[in-house]
Amino acid sequence: MTTTSTPTLADAASTSAAAAPRWWEQPWVLFAARRALRLLVSVWVLVTASFAMIHLIPGDPVRGALGPTAPAALVEARRTALGLDDPLPVQYLHYLQGLFTGDLGTSLISQLPVVDVVGQRLPATLALAVLAFLASVAVAVPLGTLLGVLTRRGHGRRTELAFTTTSIVVATVPDFLIGVALVYVFGVELGWLPVAGNASAEAYVLPVLSLSIGPAAILARIVRVEMVTVLEADYIRTARAKRLRARRIHLRHALPNALTSALTLGGLLLGSMVAGTVLVENVFAWPGLGSTIVSSILNKDYPVVQAIVLVYGLGVLLVNTAVDVSLALLDPRSMIREG
Amino acid sequence: MSELRFEDVTVRFGRTTAVDRVSLTVPVGTVVGLVGESGSGKSTLARAAVGLTEPESGAITLGGRPVPHRGARRPLQMVFQDPYSSLDPRMSIGDSIAEALPRDLDDVRGRRARRDEVARLLELVHLDPHRARDLPARLSGGQRQRVALARALAGRPEVVIADEITSALDVSIQGAVLNLVRELQAELGLSMLFISHNLAVVRYVASRVAVMQGGRIVEEGPTAQVLGAPEHDYTRELLAAAPGRKPS
Amino acid sequence: MASDHGRARRWRGVLTTPVGLTAAVLLVAVAVLTVLGPVLWGTSADAVDTRDVLATPSPEHWAGTDNLGRDILARTLVATRLSMVLAVCAITVAVAAGLLLGAAPYLLGGRAGRLVSAAVNVAVAFPGLLLALFFAVVFGVGATGAVMAVGLAGAPVFARLTQTLVAQVAGRDYVSAARVAGVGRLRILLRHVLPNIAEPLVVNATIGAGGALLAFSGLSFLGLGVQSPAYDWGRLLYDGISAIYVNPAAALAPGLAVLLAGLAFNLFGESVAKGFGVPVLVGAPELRSRGRAAAAAADAPTGTDGDPDEAADDVVLEVRDLEVVFPTATGTVRPVRGVSFDVRRGEAVGVVGESGSGKSLTALAVSRLVSEDGTVRAGRLRFLDQDLTAPDSPALRRMLGTSLAMVFQDPMTSFNPTRRIGRQLAEVATEHQGLGRAEALGRAVDRLDSVRIPDAGRRARQYPHEFSGGMRQRAMIGMGLMGTPSLVVADEPTTALDVTVQQQVLDLLAEIRAADDVALVLISHDVTVVAEVCDRVLVMYAGRIVEDVSAAGLATRAQHPYTRALVAAVPHMDTDLDQPLATIPGRPVDPAEVPAGCAYAARCPLADARCRAEDPPLVAAVDGSRVACWHAGEPLPDPVVRTAEDRTGLDALDADELVEAP
Ligand SMILES: Nc1ncnc2c1ncn2[C@@H]1O[C@H](COP(=O)(O)OP(=O)(O)OP(=O)(O)O)[C@@H](O)[C@H]1O
Ligand code: SF4
Ligand SMILES: [Mg+2]
Repeated sequence: MTTTSTPTLADAASTSAAAAPRWWEQPWVLFAARRALRLLVSVWVLVTASFAMIHLIPGDPVRGALGPTAPAALVEARRTALGLDDPLPVQYLHYLQGLFTGDLGTSLISQLPVVDVVGQRLPATLALAVLAFLASVAVAVPLGTLLGVLTRRGHGRRTELAFTTTSIVVATVPDFLIGVALVYVFGVELGWLPVAGNASAEAYVLPVLSLSIGPAAILARIVRVEMVTVLEADYIRTARAKRLRARRIHLRHALPNALTSALTLGGLLLGSMVAGTVLVENVFAWPGLGSTIVSSILNKDYPVVQAIVLVYGLGVLLVNTAVDVSLALLDPRSMIREG
Repeated sequence: MSELRFEDVTVRFGRTTAVDRVSLTVPVGTVVGLVGESGSGKSTLARAAVGLTEPESGAITLGGRPVPHRGARRPLQMVFQDPYSSLDPRMSIGDSIAEALPRDLDDVRGRRARRDEVARLLELVHLDPHRARDLPARLSGGQRQRVALARALAGRPEVVIADEITSALDVSIQGAVLNLVRELQAELGLSMLFISHNLAVVRYVASRVAVMQGGRIVEEGPTAQVLGAPEHDYTRELLAAAPGRKPS
Repeated sequence: MASDHGRARRWRGVLTTPVGLTAAVLLVAVAVLTVLGPVLWGTSADAVDTRDVLATPSPEHWAGTDNLGRDILARTLVATRLSMVLAVCAITVAVAAGLLLGAAPYLLGGRAGRLVSAAVNVAVAFPGLLLALFFAVVFGVGATGAVMAVGLAGAPVFARLTQTLVAQVAGRDYVSAARVAGVGRLRILLRHVLPNIAEPLVVNATIGAGGALLAFSGLSFLGLGVQSPAYDWGRLLYDGISAIYVNPAAALAPGLAVLLAGLAFNLFGESVAKGFGVPVLVGAPELRSRGRAAAAAADAPTGTDGDPDEAADDVVLEVRDLEVVFPTATGTVRPVRGVSFDVRRGEAVGVVGESGSGKSLTALAVSRLVSEDGTVRAGRLRFLDQDLTAPDSPALRRMLGTSLAMVFQDPMTSFNPTRRIGRQLAEVATEHQGLGRAEALGRAVDRLDSVRIPDAGRRARQYPHEFSGGMRQRAMIGMGLMGTPSLVVADEPTTALDVTVQQQVLDLLAEIRAADDVALVLISHDVTVVAEVCDRVLVMYAGRIVEDVSAAGLATRAQHPYTRALVAAVPHMDTDLDQPLATIPGRPVDPAEVPAGCAYAARCPLADARCRAEDPPLVAAVDGSRVACWHAGEPLPDPVVRTAEDRTGLDALDADELVEAP
């Protein structure tokens, strides 16, 4: 019997590859660098887009905001104050400069610094978004996992059909309609819960519910599909060949892999939840950014709109980056794949 | 007919060098086998020849001139490994073959002439010409691979590159495709670069063999000589590992 | 044509599901209302009645009236047209922009292409509503602005989808082949790429139309959409909600309309997506018996395999009349049809046969690993004197977990990518051998070392992707050695590996076998490998064993025409270069369409009337070999007659292959 103890070619290749890289060639360094670069580019695009917004509006934005009856002198004064008479590149530089010094301009309507408006409104929106996110994850992950196990191949055809249809139906109902329905039932008919403002803890219940039901349905659906897919994977067969208990196979081997795939899509969902606050805030007169941006759009108070779009955009970008980083922590391969 | 030459060809993907200064000639009317393990750069070399990847340096010439990658005439054709993905599932096999006919030749101008040519090619690879309107889904793997060969021949190539054309096939079907390759070579005097990881298969169809390892060609020569009296250690290792070599 | 036929069947499939049917009916209703709504109810919708403003539902006004006394139901029905027109316009903008942006990277190639796709990637990160708000500001408040806003906001998603789909198709060999044949990029896009991605695009556009409809209602709800006096559902909703305390029906009617229409698009799209996707193997519920074990006793399998000799004492694995049945859309298939064999202590048994002949399923069935939709039955299935048809129990699991080792084909996918190799091995010990975490890990390192993983301690802490293919396969064998196996079942363990690595894995298996008298079942499509490694070879065809012969006798003493053709078809290092290779005409039997009589008859040169009528049983000869053939060992026609000179002969054989599957 020949027992070759010489290392194989593949071994040789992979050991030399493992020993060689310097610290800056480590996968996680490359990953972090790539990710940071992408974040920077995205932020730049966002900032530029929010700057461009005011210039893409046809006609004179100041005239539009103040109305056709406003005296020409006032319009001109505001234009100068906003720097709209400078050449574009100069305006752009001023805009960037302002961003670094925390100056987002002044509201055309209230004359208040935009930073103050945003700063005052941001916490309420943030609280709403974070709570809704936690609520939907807390419901969707266990539900999706359970249904994934129940509807794995060869099981629960009816359960699958019922769940899929229900989740599509639930996810189709827009947040604000859920909000309106909740207001009507719990606020108006039953009178159990407050329907406006964020003064008390109970006041959070309905807005958080209406913001999280739709995403929870979508997320549960994604988790279920991923779970079913993962349960078909070769390594699950390996785990079964090890004769592990079903619970261990589902929770230790399948779930982490299902979640990493679900996370990719879940990240987008989280981003859309940030934006979803706009509608829900308007239903519940929530004192956040969402109700402000809508009234500002209607009032043509562009500096405020600009700033809020920027803040929302940044929020979404940060969420996406956070998702990528947690993905890399959960699944070491994703660092090597295009991060 | 003219010979295919690789001169000092290097292909890099990022920091990995897939093909490292390879020189190789496919003489007129011969089948040259190219063996080596996965990742040794065989397919990359082939893809560089037909213009699917760009070599970093070196020259690939056909009859002394660079291989044309533009225009209607493509004198270098390629057959791919997986017969299930190399035919468009929505295009009839006849159309797939017709698409590869040169557009500037008088004898394939016009609808009728093209149809006749497709029929001739199908017959050449032992397929019933009446099946020209079938979709690939109705063909077995071996039949598909024969359609792929017919498509390659449609371009009136001077050289055909066959990249692992039997490795996705069942052994029972592989034999028929190998017979066909030998037959076409004998009948048409085709030149061919026949890539495979299977030494026995290469031995069966190729008159010369090149052995590739880590992006380089480590040994090249007449098949009988390279496989009978290998000079490079790696060739010996490959031969020793080929199943069926040990006395059982 | 076959594909048209298949398409018609799939459409029928979509429309016969309750959900698909409901969605289709709703869609038709919406379409009819779009055309007829304003014609039928236009006047009543605009009829002002100042005596009856903000009325609650009544027989004349089913959904009440608005602040000018106009009938809300009529207005809701009339608003269908505007709502649908706007949604369709918006989705058209989205799809058109998305197609352009998505196809651009392919057409432009190079740096420009990468720039476009990077831009799309940045844009897609921003939620649609945010983009819609942005564009609503730029285009101004109103219907046109909203169309552009919703449309452009949807574009990145479509661009990304198109881009992914295009990239997928463009990576296929048929696109490479077209390029090599001299077909230009635009032509490839139009002829090869777009037709192959049309289905998912259309389905997603349908779902997108539902999304656009809902997005419009959202914008109108914020007051940023359609402005008075025009009205769509969103506008009606906006007005209705302000009156919700007086007349909830004023909000309910348009709200329901939006919902139903949105659902129609979404559910229809989803049903079509499902119906046209990969067909799922499902059958009548009563066939979905899940217990491999439970059914075993109930049905007597219909297999006809002759018993091997009385099971001797040293038999490790004993299989009689093994069957595997799967439910399908049209009934059941039986890919394994009555298989019987024994494996003795220390013996190496090879299983060969064409793809789909049931090799893997047989291996999975004897190790109780067939996926749960399949049913395994057996007259007798015993491993180390334990009945494997018994229901699952901790004791049985422990016995299998420590005594039966499995090695699978693809080392790349057979390890859990998110867990370290060492932990994955250690698990066996913590689960079955009662070791603690540290002890178990120590044993794992020891086992990795024993399968010659260099630097096992460090390697144990690595993830599977840091191992090469050959190392992973050795680690997989090491996993089997965590216990003290009596049998190793290896399903194509070297198919995915290079030849030199293959040899090392085979040597390793041989060593383990020699050291502890471990039995081996080695599945391979490679006759040469099996002949080299095994003592005995089982040849499978269409779910049955057709021959059981000693490995040494495979080349010379095989009796079955299929075995002999299989051996002759494979070139080896001593093949006569002047002779054409033997070929087997036709294609393997589809398990769904196993013919009566001998399954090989359609391809067999010896087949006669009896072969087509009666299935030959597997009968044992005095030397212990078994064969299932009425004409076992009779001389085959000389393969030389099938050479190029004899075209007619070849064509005749081909004609067999041309017989179309019904
Ligand atoms: N879950 C399933 N449902 C229905 N049919 C199945 C299922 N799994 C396998 N089959 C069918 O059973 C037949 C035998 O499959 P099996 O995997 O055992 O073949 P094999 O001999 O191992 O082939 P290969 O050489 O390709 O691995 C195939 O026709 C396959 O389509
Ligand atoms: S039984 Fe008849 S058809 Fe079947 S293999 Fe034997 S000779 Fe051929
Ligand atoms: Mg198999």
